[in-house]
Amino acid sequence: ESPQRKRKSEAVGMSNQTDLLALGTAVGSILLYSTVKGELHSKLISGGHDNRVNCIQWHQDSGCLYSCSDDKHIVEWNVQTCKVKCKWKGDNSSVSSLCISPDGKMLLSAGRTIKLWVLETKEVYRHFTGHATPVSSLMFTTIRPPNESQPFDGITGLYFLSGAVHDRLLNVWQVRSENKEKSAVMSFTVTDEPVYIDLTLSENKEEPVKLAVVCRDGQVHLFEHILNGYCKKPLTSNCTIQIATPGKGKKSTPKPIPILAAGFCSDKMSLLLVYGSWFQPTIERVALNSREPHMCLVRDISNCWAPKVETAITKVRTPVMNSEAKVLVPGIPGHHAAIKPAPPQTEQVETKRKSGGNEVSIEERLGAMDIDTHKKGKEDLQTNSFPVLLTQGLESNDFEILNKVLQTRNVNLIKKTVLRMPLHTIIPLLQELTKRLQGHPNSAVLMVQWLKCVLTVHASYLSTLPDLVPQLGTLYQLMESRVKTFQKLSHLHGKLILLITQVTASEKTKGATSPGQKAKLVYEEESSEEESDDEIADKDSEDNWDEDEEESESEKDEDVEEEDEDAEGKDEENGEDRDTASEKELNGDSDLDPENESEEE
Amino acid sequence: MAGYKPVAIQTYPILGEKITQDTLYWNNYKTPVQIKEFGAVSKVDFSPQPPYNYAVTASSRIHIYGRYSQEPIKTFSRFKDTAYCATFRQDGRLLVAGSEDGGVQLFDISGRAPLRQFEGHTKAVHTVDFTADKYHVVSGADDYTVKLWDIPNSKEILTFKEHSDYVRCGCASKLNPDLFITGSYDHTVKMFDARTSESVLCVEHGQPVESVLLFPSGGLLVSAGGRYVKVWDMLKGGQLLVSLKNHHKTVTCLCLSSSGQRLLSGSLDRKVKVYSTTSYKVVHSFDYAASILSLALAHEDETIVVGMTNGILSVKHRKSEAKKESLPRRRRPDDILINRPAKKHLELYDRDLKHFRISKALDRVLDPSCTIKTPEITVSIIKELNRRGVLANALAGRDEKEISHVLNFLIRNLSQPRFAPVLINAAEIIIDIYLPVIGQSPVVDKKFLVLQGLVEKEIDYQRELLETLGMMDMLFATMRRKEGTSVLEHTSDGFPENKKIES
Repeated sequence: ESPQRKRKSEAVGMSNQTDLLALGTAVGSILLYSTVKGELHSKLISGGHDNRVNCIQWHQDSGCLYSCSDDKHIVEWNVQTCKVKCKWKGDNSSVSSLCISPDGKMLLSAGRTIKLWVLETKEVYRHFTGHATPVSSLMFTTIRPPNESQPFDGITGLYFLSGAVHDRLLNVWQVRSENKEKSAVMSFTVTDEPVYIDLTLSENKEEPVKLAVVCRDGQVHLFEHILNGYCKKPLTSNCTIQIATPGKGKKSTPKPIPILAAGFCSDKMSLLLVYGSWFQPTIERVALNSREPHMCLVRDISNCWAPKVETAITKVRTPVMNSEAKVLVPGIPGHHAAIKPAPPQTEQVETKRKSGGNEVSIEERLGAMDIDTHKKGKEDLQTNSFPVLLTQGLESNDFEILNKVLQTRNVNLIKKTVLRMPLHTIIPLLQELTKRLQGHPNSAVLMVQWLKCVLTVHASYLSTLPDLVPQLGTLYQLMESRVKTFQKLSHLHGKLILLITQVTASEKTKGATSPGQKAKLVYEEESSEEESDDEIADKDSEDNWDEDEEESESEKDEDVEEEDEDAEGKDEENGEDRDTASEKELNGDSDLDPENESEEE
Repeated sequence: MAGYKPVAIQTYPILGEKITQDTLYWNNYKTPVQIKEFGAVSKVDFSPQPPYNYAVTASSRIHIYGRYSQEPIKTFSRFKDTAYCATFRQDGRLLVAGSEDGGVQLFDISGRAPLRQFEGHTKAVHTVDFTADKYHVVSGADDYTVKLWDIPNSKEILTFKEHSDYVRCGCASKLNPDLFITGSYDHTVKMFDARTSESVLCVEHGQPVESVLLFPSGGLLVSAGGRYVKVWDMLKGGQLLVSLKNHHKTVTCLCLSSSGQRLLSGSLDRKVKVYSTTSYKVVHSFDYAASILSLALAHEDETIVVGMTNGILSVKHRKSEAKKESLPRRRRPDDILINRPAKKHLELYDRDLKHFRISKALDRVLDPSCTIKTPEITVSIIKELNRRGVLANALAGRDEKEISHVLNFLIRNLSQPRFAPVLINAAEIIIDIYLPVIGQSPVVDKKFLVLQGLVEKEIDYQRELLETLGMMDMLFATMRRKEGTSVLEHTSDGFPENKKIES
């Protein structure tokens, strides 16, 4: 009937009721379950809360139950009779948390402020103010006052801890005698809003309080501190625990696994961690090592089932549409959304609808939508959003958006996008393309695709523009200047291709040698060289001579080789011969061959 | 010796974004200081008086920051709920703020507890301001009302119930103590006069109004709402002057530069745009990490403070002017100063060239520090060597490492149209020289392979460009036919083919 809300509290106290589990609901009722019988024991409704129950606490001794709610009230229940013992207004806003003092005579409540109540008289004993936002959690940290010299009245000198909504600080307060200041004595900082807190109570003065705080960002922070009076600076954690998935290879980077809750084991030396998803949490016991300031546990939870949120979002479903229905879509006026009438697949559904006469149930409709998405490609939807994105990007000159749109490789998509662009954005688009045409050919090729599309699709519009020439003049000049090198480049490309093939060919032949064939080839090549122009020989020698000069200059310093300068030209060729001495002829071949051809070009 | 002429380094115009006076001015800020606030920063306001502290409203607190302090020098936290719109008085001594519970509180900058509390609004008060006479406060609230309060008596003077939706922004005229304007989610901006008890002017913005601003002269009104920023002429009775649409999400805040020459607008699309108030064109734009809710400029534009939805306050300080002025030597009045002719220092590569160490000169400019930062110098040297006819000599005789340096440079810059002619030539020479030794070094071979891939791509690209040029020729041709005369002197040599088609 109503969404039930959690908030368990341990059923401690009376011996005959150790098996009771109290559960508060969002409508204000409290359910008592018997854990032994496994069934509902009783309901606490009459005279209770009329809004969401936030926290329930059992009283250690009397077996009473205390609950607080969004309706600003705190209620004391008699569990035996299921009646309200007492109900009083606890705060000006909703009361979010309760905590009973160790001696059972006082009650802490937290709403906008923290109040300490005397349970007998239901009077406020102390106020504690300091949190900017509503207080969300409360906990006593000590059960004995730090200095035992003074007579202990059950409450004075005790410390307690509080956390607040959206607050990265946990405050520690001390209950003091009336006239002392009432602000927090010290505070702990964590990285995000605390969602779960557990601590070990310190029973004597020397024993430090251990505190484990689970934050919203999925980390656990551990603190260890001897509570001893006022401390101005917020304390940072002694140890931080995170859990991540193992990153296998390059593709799967490690992802953090959120820790949901943490609790100290009874020996105070190890910690129970709950992590994963709320649907299927994993619980693990981790030994505490206080020396390490940061612990990152690597756990693989891929075999666990987890709801796939991301995929659910990215799957876009096309609604089934009635042919008469007119769809109004937010967007640019004059540009039509790509939602089309239902494809053939939905006909089945429609016939069903007709045959059934009555309305089709929601379930069936959803089913029909599923069929659609399987058949319909992404493209239609993307073209729907791309023009909008591009228009926005052009208007606000947003680099990221423009990049995202303009770097598509899908020609079809480009065409459709350009087709749907509103006319007034065409000139800005051309200007943007002009800017981007100047880059590296890798990306510029895509821009040309866009440009071509714009020109073909909007040719008639562009030709009617009176100021077309000044608008596109720069673009034209830019392209023209770039194209000027086309001939030379092609020439160079030819050379390079030849060179590369030469290299690859020589690599191949190095791998598999068959000397019988090669001898023939060399002979023929040499003859062909003699037939060619004298110029080649001239130029060759010139080149060699130049190299000699250069090398001799450099070699004077290095003093490496003492060969004749005339011989050095050949030396380079010889160098190769030395490497593969067995294939002298072959190398000679490969060296001479390209030279001839390149000069012939 | 004196006749050596250093190599002229060709300068090329930088294409793309033009560097204007504005970009220089607005880029002249240090890297931002980021301060984490307790919640979304809904308002930032600078004190009009030195030392120009600023008040930051976030969550239920108001922090006062000093100009360079990174921690608040003062905090007002006496709010039961979210605080809004903490604004300084003109003398910088009082601060007024609205609150989610409908209260308006007045603080003394030096005090802690509120001086005055104005109770009367029934819903959240999102905008408050002091009137020009300093003795009244204007407030606008979610209960659709606008109220005028008297500070000395802490009494309500007037209530205007003309808006039909939340009143979320407003400001008081700086000249006339009786005039103030408010913008509301009912899409209107209204000007009220305290002497008439009803609105004297109303303009229709078309979107829920998020921010309004009056020019110091009071003649122009700027309103922001939706994706639009609109400028209205108040003297002509609220005529629309310009409508600017440069954001792709809702514009949330407006601000004027201290000179009044530039208008700034911040938006949820994480950008701040700077407009010129003469041409109303965007002259600059800043990017931020999150959606922007509030924006303020300090006196003399010394600091830009931007508050964002994720609670981060970004503070940018202007770079201090470099004080280069060395103290001029004290001169007696009858001294005559004779300037020594400044000795010209030749660049190192020039010195090498002068002594015909061409290889060394080339080495020098092929150094990675030069090729990456100033490729035009390298290209100029290559060009010069080519002109002298010694490029082949300079390139020859290099080992594997050096030749791969050269090839790297080619690969990086060959596709740049400004360098292409020179570099293609150089590439051909390299191939000619090193053809005999090709295949010996896998490193060099690989570089050649990359170069080949690049050239192939460039050729493909240029082929595409040629096709596109053809298309454009067609387009231009239709233009020309219409006009009958050639408009395209500068491109006419580009399409001889086109003429043929025409004829």
